Amino acid sequence: MRVTTPIEKLLARLSALLFLLFAISGAVLAADSTRTGQVRLSLLAERAAAIPGTTLWLGLRFELIPHWHIYWRNPGDSGEAPRVDWQLPRGWQAGDIQWPTPQRIPVGPLVNYGFEDSVTLLVPIAVPPDQVVGVPVNISADVSWLVCREECIPQDARLQIALPVMQVGNLPILENSFDAVRAQWPVAAPGGAEYRRRDSALTLRIDASGWADAQITSLWFAANDWGRIAPSQPQAWRFDSDVLLLELPTGEAPFADGAMLDGLLVVTESGSGAGLTRGFTISAAPRDTAQVATDDTRVTLILALGLALLGGLLLNLMPCVLPVLSIKVLALVQHAGDQSARHGLVFGAGVLLSLLALAGLLIALRAGGASLGWGFQLQEPWVVIALLYLMLALGLNLSGVFHLGGGLAGVGQTFTEHRGLRGTFATGVLAVIVASPCTAPFMGTALGFALTRPPLETLLVFAALGVGFALPVTLLGIWPRWVGLLPAPGPWMERLRNALAFPLYATAAWLLWVLSQQVGPSGLASALAGSVLLAFGLWWFGQPLRRRGLRNALGGTLILASLALMVAAGHNTPTLSAAPAAETWSRERVSALQQDDRAVLVNFTAAWCITCKVNEQIALSTDAVRQALDENGVAYLRADWTRRDPAITEELRRHGRSGVPLYLLYPAGQGPPEVLPQLLTEGLVLQALSRIDKT
Amino acid sequence: MLMKTVMTTLLFTLATTAGAALRIGEPAPGFTGIDTRGNSHALSDYRGKPVILEWTNHDCPYVRKHYNSGNMQQQQRAATDQGAVWLSIISSAPGKQGHVTPAQADTLTVERNAAPSAVILDENGEIGRLYGAKTTPHMYIIDADGKLAYMGGIDSIASSNPADIEKAIQYVPAALARVMNGEPVASSVTRPYGCSVKY
Repeated sequence: MRVTTPIEKLLARLSALLFLLFAISGAVLAADSTRTGQVRLSLLAERAAAIPGTTLWLGLRFELIPHWHIYWRNPGDSGEAPRVDWQLPRGWQAGDIQWPTPQRIPVGPLVNYGFEDSVTLLVPIAVPPDQVVGVPVNISADVSWLVCREECIPQDARLQIALPVMQVGNLPILENSFDAVRAQWPVAAPGGAEYRRRDSALTLRIDASGWADAQITSLWFAANDWGRIAPSQPQAWRFDSDVLLLELPTGEAPFADGAMLDGLLVVTESGSGAGLTRGFTISAAPRDTAQVATDDTRVTLILALGLALLGGLLLNLMPCVLPVLSIKVLALVQHAGDQSARHGLVFGAGVLLSLLALAGLLIALRAGGASLGWGFQLQEPWVVIALLYLMLALGLNLSGVFHLGGGLAGVGQTFTEHRGLRGTFATGVLAVIVASPCTAPFMGTALGFALTRPPLETLLVFAALGVGFALPVTLLGIWPRWVGLLPAPGPWMERLRNALAFPLYATAAWLLWVLSQQVGPSGLASALAGSVLLAFGLWWFGQPLRRRGLRNALGGTLILASLALMVAAGHNTPTLSAAPAAETWSRERVSALQQDDRAVLVNFTAAWCITCKVNEQIALSTDAVRQALDENGVAYLRADWTRRDPAITEELRRHGRSGVPLYLLYPAGQGPPEVLPQLLTEGLVLQALSRIDKT
Repeated sequence: MLMKTVMTTLLFTLATTAGAALRIGEPAPGFTGIDTRGNSHALSDYRGKPVILEWTNHDCPYVRKHYNSGNMQQQQRAATDQGAVWLSIISSAPGKQGHVTPAQADTLTVERNAAPSAVILDENGEIGRLYGAKTTPHMYIIDADGKLAYMGGIDSIASSNPADIEKAIQYVPAALARVMNGEPVASSVTRPYGCSVKY
């Protein structure tokens, strides 16, 4: 570490004094600008002086008249990127231009990458540690650029600034806008990337976990170098679960084997309101081209169908399903006789139709913008409780606590009635319902694939699952001789019935655990109390009482009470917060915190919002920001709009937004919030936090 | 959702079929163009001679760099002296920068002391699109067997500054020398630079 001697302190004071003197006399000039017919170009320094041993950021700001543009590092089909030659004091080093995310600018059939309206190119300048303090330095930049509408004009200019050199710890920032410029820089892609070369196209694969749920309106890739890809050719893209696949027609340049494909992925999201664009830097390694294309969708679909079929078969053995189906098979043994083939097929139809209905519902919900995966049913606490009650009721039935007729969808009892086939169909539906909390091995893969595919393929995979699921029972129905292999009916059947209750109780216990995650202890208490009431009610129904009125009245009351408790438990809000550092947002909480004399930062976010995640990663969860929040006593609230919470929708609307991200910084005491930009950098957040400190 | 899937599939098919790009060593696409005097020139007419195609637009600063310095005219003379055919092609659409009448084109040739074998007027951009011409200048060399031997820039320094011509590698004379000797061209594909072709 540097030791500051008294002499250096004196020098620092002197240099500050010198700066003032120079500034008054006009020898110091922190900005210079020039104008052409199309462009106003300024050279700006971020701080008022250069500090030895640090980086000085300079910016070249191009302000263009409408419809004209300048170019990105790779200009695309035509054009030329701006160039700077720096004249710097000895020992000073200029770094590379930091390019913001460009626009795709079509010019007739050609496409350019560039910037319209206004763009600032930042350049880091390394100031050597031994730079003499006190004497101002001259910095000049010879800038040449091409500015085009349809016609093009090459232009150049020399810009010059003079800065004092000072040995001080912290200098005031002259150019606040640099952080907004930094927010336009591309950020690192979320995951690795690789490409494969085919005949006239490259297939680029990018790991983009969580992106598939985002509402992306435009997505395109630009290579850093000319000729890698053809800028004007259409680029097709799609998601294969967590992998983004882009088909990029190749450009003209010969591409050495093993070369990296470096570039920029530019993504515009509509789900987050006005349409936010963000660039992601990509560095893709080549993948062995000798490998045959394994990502052929047809192969994957067949594989998925096979896995779904297998998963369906295994689903029969899951603890939530096995008992129900075993009883069905026993019923076939006992009663069905020559009707068994028809029963087998009707059961299969029940399974298949209810699974397809479930798939249809899922497709419809996803088309409506909901971001759902398999297991979506279990996201609603009341569905979990309903399944819990169902498992409990079926278990109690098997334990012999009560026996009912067709009421509980005929677990075997209704064969003798002439409505038997309807009962069998209902058993198929029931089998799907009880199977829904269970996931068999192989099923997850198949369903995960199905949900990212077009609706027809989704339905096919669900159908395969249904066929696999229904197959054993249906086949036993068609060839009842196989059932004949079972021992003759006898007391063993009652014991088996009773034993099979326990897998159902196990499923019920698991559902309680799931519920505890969703509703916390008090919700859990309601659900447990409801379970006891339900058991009591069912037992009461099962009593051979003469006075049916009394039986039904009390049993019914108990069951209704258990349902009321289900609703009550379902309304409990989760007590577990996703991020421990952030409190859950509510308008009341914001006012309360403000009244406690605390500033409040609110992060409106959603799991499917790419921009939100990037901002959280690069700007909100950094150590410096956390420390600044702590030091300034700023409360950090999170409003999760993943499930389109209406209160959050309303709050977004109040701030003129139709989507996330939205960042609000409320001052302590009272007063309206400052709205932070939608693209954040650490610097922007820190600046905003320091402003709040002063008010 | 269905609509998006259909569009994506469509784009995938398009993307993989549309890339009928030119390749070095393969037959150059045939065309017939009309010059400023109304004569028609078919590429096949010149089998047996190397053919140089130069996309141009007299108002483009990058074209002016090479004409005002005399670089382009000198290369035209050197090539035709060696027995090659030099076709300057103007693909600017009517009303766009660089579009000229036959008379204006001839005047430009005289005024600039240019020496192409012919100036072809391609105002509907057909030949330009066939070759994927993107910039002015954009250069192509087709060998005596009608195969594409070179495509790309006029030289190696992408700038509009005439002072750079001297420092740059002039790609066309170098490539033409190889083509005349029946040798493969070393850098057969380079980055074309300049204004966009005004289709």
